[in-house]
Amino acid sequence: MEILLAKYNYWIYVALMMIGIYGMIAKTNLMKKIIGMSIFQTAIIVFYVSIGAKKGATIPIIEHGHGAAHAAVRVADYVNPLPHVLMLTAIVVGVGTLGVALAIAMSIYKEYGSLEEDEILERLE
Amino acid sequence: MIWQFDFLILALGVICALASISLKDLLSAAIVFGAYSFLMCLLWTEMGAVDVAFTEAAVGAGVSTVFFLAAVFHTSRIVQPRRRGRMLHKLVGLAAATGIGILLISATADFPNWANPNSPASTHLSPFYITETIPLTGVPNIVTSVLADFRGFDTMFETAVIFVAGLAVVSILGRYGRRLRDYEPSPVGEDVAHQSPIIQAACRIFVPFMQLFALYVVAHGHHSPGGGFQGGVILGASFILVAISYDLRVMQRRLQERRAMLFSSLGVLIYSGIGALCLLMGANFLDYSILHTILPATSPIMARSHGMLGVEVGVALTVMSIMVIIYVNVASYGKSDRGL
Amino acid sequence: MISPEQYPVLIVVIPLLSAFLISILGGMDKRFCYPATLLALGGSLAAAVATLCLVADHGIIHYRMGGWAPPFGIEYVVDYLNALVLVVVVFVAFMAAIASKVSVEEELPHKIPQFYTLFVLLTTGLLGMTITGDAFNLYVLMEIAALTNYALIAMGRKRALMASFNYVVIGTMGACFYLLGVGHLYIMTGSLNMADILNILPHLYGTNAILVAAILMLMGAWIKMAFFPMHGWLPNAYTYAPSATSSLVAPLMTKVSVYIMIRVMFSVLGAVYVFKVLPVKELIVWLATAAIIAGSLFALAQKDFKKMLTYLIVAEVGYMVGGVWLATAQGITGAILHIVNDAVMTLCLFLFAAIVVHKTKGHQLSNLQGLFKKMPITMAAFAVGALSMIGVPPTAGFFSKWYLILGGIDAGQWQFVVALLFSSLVNAVLFFRIFEIAYYEPESAQHGHGESVAIDEAPLSMLLPLVVVAITIILLGLYSGEIVTTFIQHAVPAGI
Repeated sequence: MEILLAKYNYWIYVALMMIGIYGMIAKTNLMKKIIGMSIFQTAIIVFYVSIGAKKGATIPIIEHGHGAAHAAVRVADYVNPLPHVLMLTAIVVGVGTLGVALAIAMSIYKEYGSLEEDEILERLE
Repeated sequence: MIWQFDFLILALGVICALASISLKDLLSAAIVFGAYSFLMCLLWTEMGAVDVAFTEAAVGAGVSTVFFLAAVFHTSRIVQPRRRGRMLHKLVGLAAATGIGILLISATADFPNWANPNSPASTHLSPFYITETIPLTGVPNIVTSVLADFRGFDTMFETAVIFVAGLAVVSILGRYGRRLRDYEPSPVGEDVAHQSPIIQAACRIFVPFMQLFALYVVAHGHHSPGGGFQGGVILGASFILVAISYDLRVMQRRLQERRAMLFSSLGVLIYSGIGALCLLMGANFLDYSILHTILPATSPIMARSHGMLGVEVGVALTVMSIMVIIYVNVASYGKSDRGL
Repeated sequence: MISPEQYPVLIVVIPLLSAFLISILGGMDKRFCYPATLLALGGSLAAAVATLCLVADHGIIHYRMGGWAPPFGIEYVVDYLNALVLVVVVFVAFMAAIASKVSVEEELPHKIPQFYTLFVLLTTGLLGMTITGDAFNLYVLMEIAALTNYALIAMGRKRALMASFNYVVIGTMGACFYLLGVGHLYIMTGSLNMADILNILPHLYGTNAILVAAILMLMGAWIKMAFFPMHGWLPNAYTYAPSATSSLVAPLMTKVSVYIMIRVMFSVLGAVYVFKVLPVKELIVWLATAAIIAGSLFALAQKDFKKMLTYLIVAEVGYMVGGVWLATAQGITGAILHIVNDAVMTLCLFLFAAIVVHKTKGHQLSNLQGLFKKMPITMAAFAVGALSMIGVPPTAGFFSKWYLILGGIDAGQWQFVVALLFSSLVNAVLFFRIFEIAYYEPESAQHGHGESVAIDEAPLSMLLPLVVVAITIILLGLYSGEIVTTFIQHAVPAGI
């Protein structure tokens, strides 16, 4: 139980990542591949955000930020903000990749009339 | 942090992920994927990552789902079964997923326990940011001060990534736009009547509040969750809402695609321009403290705070226009005149 | 006005700012794009050369972004390795930009502003990847380079679409593996700064988590560089991309990824870890051997000239990866020298391919018939590049191959030496076959579809960069000793 509580977050991120990889490789529909890719990316975000979690700490915004109280900021009171910053970047990169992938998939549909990888490859030959 | 909640949300997340991968109907898959993003956003709030959750709510559960729906609307909705080599394909996928799964699980044994306050990640760099954000930058939201100042250089390129994505979508889908426009004169104002008046009335009421809230999110990002990205996405979403409930052309009367492209370059230019200004004034790139000499009545610390506000405005401008551009192009196959 | 300490950041900032200006002003008048691109890349080249001189005189340069001290802020580190790579990247981009004028106007007439904006941003991304000293910053720049690359490839003809979709999926996987590896390092060390991680790691060397981090980061770099057997996405993507795109990405993407691998190995994980703790040295040299042989054989089987070149890239990646993992000073020197030489050689060949596409409207081997008579200067410049690929002295290719072979002998990895010689032989066969087609075979009648196109020397904007690049290949060969003693020998980690 102890180890389960200590690690389950990491195990579940691995499960999400496996679903994502399976979707990217095993699915032949281009949209499904894109969904798999997005799940893969969010799994990484789960991982990073889990790194930043801290027991007994609150959100990383200093309370009473303006005033004389700021000498008393205690590190243990706030969760680690750095992974959050990194993952803002990852989310934004994710939506960028999503947009480009959708645009390419739509162009492929326009040219070949299908979103299935095997049909497209047949039409290529 | 209540681990039961955490566990429940994660389990639901896995179920949604499985469902969206395996559903045969792409429209449902897109909706379930939206639900998945929303669960992720709950999870992150629960772990204290409010800024990430906010962004995910706006980006992942919000506009991404709309992009998906628009793309599915224009392509095919049903997934065809693969004709040959089906098992092999599945086996390769399973093998790759299991291999990487085992690899990653084997690493977790060495990780410090989840949420352990004494883990290296919580003791090496992060105490500096937590204790120094007020004395060095005067910004209470640590995520904002790390995002826009301590690691502001990353954020500048992140904005550039968004810009590139918009430009890429335009240049990929743009080719169909020109070709179709040649032989398909579209009647003006026809689509507007198709929409329900209730939706249009609701949209008319919502949009001003959305935009006001978005501006608040941008401006108040120093003190509360939010900032340029979240505010920018909400601003973009307000235009997308107009486009969905009325018509793409009605939206374009408010924000033309050409102008949106201009705004998006301008936004990143504001960000990198502020950095270059610091450079020209003799400090390092993006060292906002030097700006106190030109900003009226500020100390170097407040100059950092103001500099961050400046770059957040740039970020919001770019994110807003690129979200609109991606939507317009995906929803209209690059024609940018008729929407869904 | 701007002091020399600021030079490193200028290399990246000049093209970055210009990209947005090109986007804005190009929207108003597209004639503005081409000169602005040249100006931006020229400025960046000047800054890169100035930085190279600074490094040669004063040693490693550190630059604090936003004035924040590392590891809290992001830092730029220019050392003997990346000073050289920076100059090569921006030189190649500059030459490719000069040559792009005609082919962009011809192949992408409606997308000129978009093309040049993405072109400059791609260069920015590659430069940023090369110069940064922060593991996460590297990921962001990697994504910039990747997204611009997808778009530039998808701009090509119909067949480019499927290739670029595969590239999006595989490229994202590569970048995510890298990001995940950085995450593993972060959870174990709490740091993102490369130098800081390198300091903390030694007491964690035995852990599984660091092993997984190493595997993930190396896998990420290998997918990005199309290291055999992860090369599947490359040939189609580069073959069907627009000419101006392939002459930028083909020389640079794989080379910068090799640089990333070297950086991860020596500046993040540490040479001791990758060579002494990890038991995979030999295995990777074997893989590299397979890459060289497979790449050469595939190249031999192609009838499409451009596709043949893309398979040669796969083989060349094997050279560099193998050279590094030989784990001898000679091998690493050869690999780094080959990054420089191969970038310039590949540029030469792809600039030639762009001229062929421009003049004959195709890139089959049969398109080359009779070209020696019609464009002697172009063909002479191409011959220099081809001889360098084969490894004929005094061209640059000979010297890096020489170091690689010496390294292979030092390490006792004979299969690698044999593969290098085999690949030189295959290159000789390939290029002499091309010389034969271009010199002896007259242009066949059916090929021109009845209408005989008058083919003459390439336009000056394409010819000039090609000739400059050909001269550079010879100069790189003649001065390779100086390059090694001034820069590369300091970049090889001590004590291996």
